[in-house]
Amino acid sequence: MNKVVKQILGWFVAAIFFFPIYFWITVSIKKDKDIFALPPKLFNFDISFQAYEEVFGLSRFLYVEDMGAVRPGGGDFYMMPNLVDSIIIALGSTGLAMLISILAAYALSRLPMRGQQHFMGWILSTRMMPPVAVAIPMFFIYKNIGLMDTHLGIIIIHALMNLPLAVLLMKSFFDDIPKDIDEAALLDGASRFFVFWRLIVPLAIGGIAATAVLCFIFSWTEFIFVLMLTQTGLKTIPVVSTSFVTSTGTAWDNMAALGTAAIIPAFIFILLVQRHLVRGLTLGSVKQ
Amino acid sequence: MTNQKSYSLPSIMTSDSSLPWLLPLITMLVVFAIIPFFYNIYLSFHEFVPLKRALIFVGWDNWIKLFTDEIFWGSLKVSLYYTFVCLIIQLVLGMGIALLIDSDDPGFGVIRSILTLTLVIPPAIAGMIFLIMEDANYGLIPWALKSIGLLGQEDTILADPTLALWGVMIVDIWQWTPFMVLILVAGLRSLPSEPFESAMIDGAKPFQIFRRLTLPMLHKVIAVAVLIRGIDLWRMVDYVFVLTSGGPGTATYTLSLYSWQRFTFVQWGYGATISLFSLIVILIVGNAFIHFAKVKW
Repeated sequence: MNKVVKQILGWFVAAIFFFPIYFWITVSIKKDKDIFALPPKLFNFDISFQAYEEVFGLSRFLYVEDMGAVRPGGGDFYMMPNLVDSIIIALGSTGLAMLISILAAYALSRLPMRGQQHFMGWILSTRMMPPVAVAIPMFFIYKNIGLMDTHLGIIIIHALMNLPLAVLLMKSFFDDIPKDIDEAALLDGASRFFVFWRLIVPLAIGGIAATAVLCFIFSWTEFIFVLMLTQTGLKTIPVVSTSFVTSTGTAWDNMAALGTAAIIPAFIFILLVQRHLVRGLTLGSVKQ
Repeated sequence: MTNQKSYSLPSIMTSDSSLPWLLPLITMLVVFAIIPFFYNIYLSFHEFVPLKRALIFVGWDNWIKLFTDEIFWGSLKVSLYYTFVCLIIQLVLGMGIALLIDSDDPGFGVIRSILTLTLVIPPAIAGMIFLIMEDANYGLIPWALKSIGLLGQEDTILADPTLALWGVMIVDIWQWTPFMVLILVAGLRSLPSEPFESAMIDGAKPFQIFRRLTLPMLHKVIAVAVLIRGIDLWRMVDYVFVLTSGGPGTATYTLSLYSWQRFTFVQWGYGATISLFSLIVILIVGNAFIHFAKVKW
C-alpha cells in the first residue's frame, strides 16, 4: 500500500479512537447549553471551568449557596475525598501486590519447585474469576471480620485482583536476567536473599516500575469490588462518578470534569511505561 | 560480599526452598480464590429467609431454579453473544489496524501511543462517555445515524431491546480494540523478515502471505490476546451497569449483572449460584483453551 495512504488511514483510525476522549474533555469545560447542542459544538463553545471548581473544592466557598436550585440533582458535587480514597487505595494495593509478587516471582523464576506448571496454571485461573463471584462471598467474609467498607478491605481485594498479573509479569522480567549472575554470587558465598535484594531487584527495576504502574491503573479503574464491598465509608472515582446520574437529571459537566481529572494522570503513567505495555497486557507472555 | 552479614536470616530463608518466597502469595490466593470459591458453593445451597433473618439450607433449590429461570437463560445468551461478537469484531478490526500501523515510518509511533490511551480509562467512565454520546435526545451518535438515515426519527439506541446491546458493545469495541491492535503489532514486529522476503521474490500475493505466513507465525500471540480478552468480555459488568442497568426490561442482563442484581435484592444464595455458574464456565473454557491452543506462560 502507498505510504501516504497508509499515513492518512493510520491518522484517521487514531482520530476515531481519540474522538470520544476529546468529546468528553470538551463536555467538562462546556456550559449546559453547549453540551446539549445539536449538531454538537466540537470547537466553537464557551469555555467554563465551573465544573472543575465544583468538583475539586472551590464551590465549597463560592457556589454552594445557589447550587441547590440551579444544578440538576441539587446534591453536593465535592469529590475531593473520593479522589483521596482512590489514591490511597491504588497506592496501598499496588504496594501490597508488588511486595508479594516480587518475592513469589523470584522463586518461580529461579528456585526448583515441584508442580510449577500446575501452580502457574492455578495463578492464571484466579485471573479468570468474575469479580462478582469473588465479591459475593467476600461481602460476607468482610462483614464478619470487620473489613467491610474500609480502605484496608479494598486495598487487600485490589491487591489480590492484581496478583496474577503482577506475579506472571514479574516472573517474565526476572527470567530475562541471566541466571549466571545468581550463581556467580552464590558461589562467592552470598545468601539467596542478598542475591535477590541487592543484585536481581536493582536489575529488574524497570520491570518493577512497569508492573507497579499497571497494578495502579487496574486498581484506579476497578468498579465492581468497590461497588459491592463499600457502603458509605468510601467510594473511588469510577463508582462515585455514577452518582452524578440522578432522578432529576445528570450533571454531565461535573461528571466529565471528574472523569477527565481521573484519566489524565493515567494517560501520563501509561505513556511512561509504554515500552513494557504489551508484555503487561499479556501477563508477560508476549515480549516487545 | 562483606555486606552479607547484615542479612542474617533464618535458615529457611537462606536455603533453596521456594516455599518461604511463595508463602505470602499462597496465603493471599487461598483467601482470594479458595475460600470465596468454597463459600460460594456453600451459599449456592442456602438462601436468605427474611422472616428468620438467616441463611437456610435449601438443597438443590437454587440450581433447579437456575435452570428453569428464563431471565437466567436470557442473560446467558446475552453473555455468550456479547463475548463472541465483541471478540470476533475486536480481533478482525484489531488485525486490520495492526497491519496498517505496523511500520517504522515517522508518525506511526505517535499513532500507537494515541491508541494506548483508551486502555487506561475506567470502564465505568468509558460507559459514561458513551451514555452522553448515545443519549436519545441530545446524543451525538443517534443524531449522526438519524441524519444519514440509518436510524428512524423516533428511534433510540439504549431504550430499544434489539439495539441496546449493540449500544453497550460499541463501548467495549471502542475501548478494547486497541488492546488487540497493540498486542498484534508487537507480534508482527517480532516476526523475522526473511520468510516474507523470499515469499515476495516467489511472487506470492499479499493475502496468501498473510494466510500462509503471518497468521501461523502469530498463532501464539493471537491465542494469548483472545484468551485474555475473552476472559474479560465474559466478566464484563461495568458497561451494562452504567449504560442500561440491564434494560430495557432484561434485554441486556449479562450473567454478572444478573448475579449482582439478585444479590442486591437479598437473594444472596441465588445470586451466588449465578456467579458460581459463570465462574465454572470460564474456568472450564479458559483452561481448555490454554490446553488446546498450547498457550504457555
